[in-house]
Amino acid sequence: MSDTLLVSTRKGLFVLERRKDAWNIARHVFPGDNIALTAVDSRDGTWYAVLDLGHFGNKLQRSTDRGATWAECAVPVYAEGDQVITGDGKPPVPAVLRLIWSLEAGGVDQPGWLWAGTIPGGLFRSDDCGASWQMVRSLWDMPERKQWFGGGFDQPGIHSICIDPRDPRRICVGISTAGIWGSDNGGATWSQRAQGMRAAYMPAERAHDPNVQDVHHLVQCRSQPDVFWVQHHNGVFRNTGGDWQEIENVPPSVFGFAVAVHPRDGNTAWFVPAIKDERRIPVDGKVVVARTRDGGKSFDVLRNGLPQHDAYDLVLRHALAIDASGDRLAFGSSTGGVWTSEDQGDHWSQLDARLPPVYAVTFAD
Amino acid sequence: MARVVLASALSRWLPAAAGRPSQEVVLEVPGASLDEALDGVFARFPNLRGYVLDEHGAVRHHVAVFVDGTAIADKRRPVQALRADSEIYVMQALSGG
Repeated sequence: MSDTLLVSTRKGLFVLERRKDAWNIARHVFPGDNIALTAVDSRDGTWYAVLDLGHFGNKLQRSTDRGATWAECAVPVYAEGDQVITGDGKPPVPAVLRLIWSLEAGGVDQPGWLWAGTIPGGLFRSDDCGASWQMVRSLWDMPERKQWFGGGFDQPGIHSICIDPRDPRRICVGISTAGIWGSDNGGATWSQRAQGMRAAYMPAERAHDPNVQDVHHLVQCRSQPDVFWVQHHNGVFRNTGGDWQEIENVPPSVFGFAVAVHPRDGNTAWFVPAIKDERRIPVDGKVVVARTRDGGKSFDVLRNGLPQHDAYDLVLRHALAIDASGDRLAFGSSTGGVWTSEDQGDHWSQLDARLPPVYAVTFAD
Repeated sequence: MARVVLASALSRWLPAAAGRPSQEVVLEVPGASLDEALDGVFARFPNLRGYVLDEHGAVRHHVAVFVDGTAIADKRRPVQALRADSEIYVMQALSGG
């Protein structure tokens, strides 16, 4: 199991290590800086941190010594003339990097390759560990891109990137708000993959338009890569090939941001539900995790070790993680709580710390 | 030569500072206009360009630039003329922190 957990917060990156059956903060990196996301490249052990500096924009830093030292990389940038044109009536504006919202390593036979999903909607690739970036124009230039719109943020963004472990040319990206776009040829051509989803927030005649689906997070089962799960703005969806199937019985709510799937069992997935969009707080003030082991037919509500009264923790889309073993889970909340489990969520332990708001948690191998 | 003052919030991101707390940095650079002077700064510290300007050359929304005590008038085109002894302050705006 992974004994290192990277917790990205509003006020720095906290490196947690597990020793003597307990998690402790081993290092606080970039204290005070806004860390939007951390990624671990399991091919070479490099850690990447996205800094969203309030004054100076998005920055990317990398560490090849498990966080002891860091060096600044390049960030993706938009070209002169690139415009953000959205489908929700906002006037077009020049495209400027707002946020690196997702960062994933390429395939095992693509050393140095990284993919970055951004707000306002551009997908970028680096072939040199982040030293330089190229926009994936084939996706940006799709006519349908001009119908994308923001969900939560003013502009659309790519928050999820799934690289098929069998073939890294097969890529799926989750977009808020533009459903799921996929490529089977390394990004040369793209097609919409959100057929079957339903958007309750849209006019009825647009509810099943794949390009308006507000996917909150998309995950792919590592050993069963045909199985995908989505936490969506108004529901949970699963795909095992063909159209997406809505899972309507997630207790205590189908609303949430985060989803994790077991690395070897596509039937097993976890969610952290909340009251739907206009409130975004736990149901009844109780933090719970919903787990299915049968592909969504039934769910367990896991609460052992989690706050069960007066809790207002919201778990954002990148703030729930599972390690490679499939047994160890962790999540962090908007009010700075961090909980971990050693047994797939049956029991949880709270980190003994009051952290800043947590944006992302990532296990390091 | 223009005198350019980089606020400590900015100079902490110079490679030597590596994100640690730092001191205000003062540079002397040639330039008859603001963009020429800033180019002189960026020639010395290439990574600073992306901290001060966005990818289209506009001064970032939450960065403030003062020339001889007055905030620049056009953040989208920071090209105004300088005096021979102009003083340029590059600092974080008080919004956006």
